Amino acid sequence: MKGSSLALKGAVLLAAVFVILKFALPLFTAPLPMSLIWLYLFLATIGIIVFGTLSGESTEALLGPVFRFLSGEGIRGATKALRLAVLVLFPLLVGWETYSGLVSSTQPPGENRTIHPAPPGEFVGLANPVPNTPENVMMGKGLYAAFCSPCHGPKFNGNGPASDGFNPPPANFVDPGTIAQLQESYLFWRIKKGGVGLNVEGHPWKSAMPRWEVELPDDWIWKIIMAEYAGSGHKPRTWE
Amino acid sequence: MRQARGKGQGVMGLILIFFFSVLPMAPGLAPLAYGQESVVVRAKLIQGEVPTDPTAAIWDTIPATEFPMSPQVHWQKRILQTTVKSITVRGVHNTKQIAFLVEYADPTQDPADAAALEFMVGDKKAHFAHGQPMGQVEGGPVNIWYWRNDTPGAADMGAMGFGTLKKHPHQDVQAKGVWKPDKVKVKHKERKLNIRKDPKGEPMKDPKTGDPLFDEETKVVEEEMTGVWRVVFTRSLTTADKDDVQIQPGTFPNIAFAVWDGKKLESGDLKEAGSQKAVSSWWYFNAEPPTDYSIYLYGLMAVVLAAGVEFVIIRKVKKGQPA
Repeated sequence: MKGSSLALKGAVLLAAVFVILKFALPLFTAPLPMSLIWLYLFLATIGIIVFGTLSGESTEALLGPVFRFLSGEGIRGATKALRLAVLVLFPLLVGWETYSGLVSSTQPPGENRTIHPAPPGEFVGLANPVPNTPENVMMGKGLYAAFCSPCHGPKFNGNGPASDGFNPPPANFVDPGTIAQLQESYLFWRIKKGGVGLNVEGHPWKSAMPRWEVELPDDWIWKIIMAEYAGSGHKPRTWE
Repeated sequence: MRQARGKGQGVMGLILIFFFSVLPMAPGLAPLAYGQESVVVRAKLIQGEVPTDPTAAIWDTIPATEFPMSPQVHWQKRILQTTVKSITVRGVHNTKQIAFLVEYADPTQDPADAAALEFMVGDKKAHFAHGQPMGQVEGGPVNIWYWRNDTPGAADMGAMGFGTLKKHPHQDVQAKGVWKPDKVKVKHKERKLNIRKDPKGEPMKDPKTGDPLFDEETKVVEEEMTGVWRVVFTRSLTTADKDDVQIQPGTFPNIAFAVWDGKKLESGDLKEAGSQKAVSSWWYFNAEPPTDYSIYLYGLMAVVLAAGVEFVIIRKVKKGQPA
């Protein structure tokens, strides 16, 4: 009975970890990718095995039920049918998995695009040289309306009328995961050099962000940055 | 009592085995490396000649993929509103020739109406805007297949940056467009800014800045348009021209689209021309590969091997020798 409880506890623990990671966690934060969930389950399994094999008795307690299930010893009735089903199903699943791995994919390759890649050194830590006055913010909002809002939207939420066809979509500045996490110097780099200024992790070949340095003077760009923070309700990230 | 214990052990064993071996294989729980959006034009493998006629019946049997289009705002000269808000694309191939059908609503048939497909050439990534140079990444060229209503056939062009667009010496692309005055309903997003009002109906202002406050309203509207372009582009999957895109079935090359409404305005200017057009950035297409029957054999071999391993393990366990 003691042996049963240890194996059962291990199984229940694994099930609980899976349910928490897969279903409970997304209620509070972003869902975890399945690859990460499997990694956590693997680590939990290793922990259970280490704990369960500390002594000969505990090893029997952990693995005994598995061996008895595999051998069929003492199994009767519906459980016997379940065992048979598992033994038949396992090779079939291995065959299906092999087939699935070899058959031509119908989905494009995954894209690990970094949304906020590291900026070039020359742009790190630049301070906004334009005073943050109501007049400058007002002018920045006018410039934003003229040059940025077609894609990033008049409400700064990435929902501009020209945004629909672009992949990746224009940034949503209201989202706390975008400019609220960045310094003004980072925005200066992104606006000045545009999508084509990104490094390889940022997939510059896909970005529709114009290279504004060819059309706008630097002080206009700084004023636009002030307007983006004022309009989105965020403050630039600082080193404090 | 013994039966109850045996049943409990069986259930526990089942749970553990389920976790260790079966659950990770469940297709719905496999790691997701990509979104489930419809982002791929699938060029279906067919027998016989690929259709060069946009009205061929076979096109109605091929699944279409819809792509939203944006006004070209990436470089000068920009445009902020275009006629075409989305296009649908179908594809077929026969391992030698490939054909794409591009379909979109355009209320008028004009001589300067035009459409284009764009591809990356070679292994280097190319920017979707004519393969323009990138600051930190060495890019490659693009291959553009261009059709215009008043010009028979198609132009097979290449570019590697703005101002470098030119026709290839060998023209390998054919195209044909047919406009029909069909009534179609086109869905697109409509955005409005409404002045926010207080309960008394007075416009509200930001207490900090004094700026008027607006609420954004976005809804999908259905618009009826009287006219549809169906344009077919055809080419060999591979060519001898190194500046052409070379298409291998089973791979996922990038593809981008552009459309011009060539309607003549009262001013005499064209509504859309040159860089003023509807565009998309890069998506994917996939030419369906021929069926490889050897994968069924490998699947069968895996079943036999797994059953053999299972048999050995059970035999050892029964003999009291943990595997």
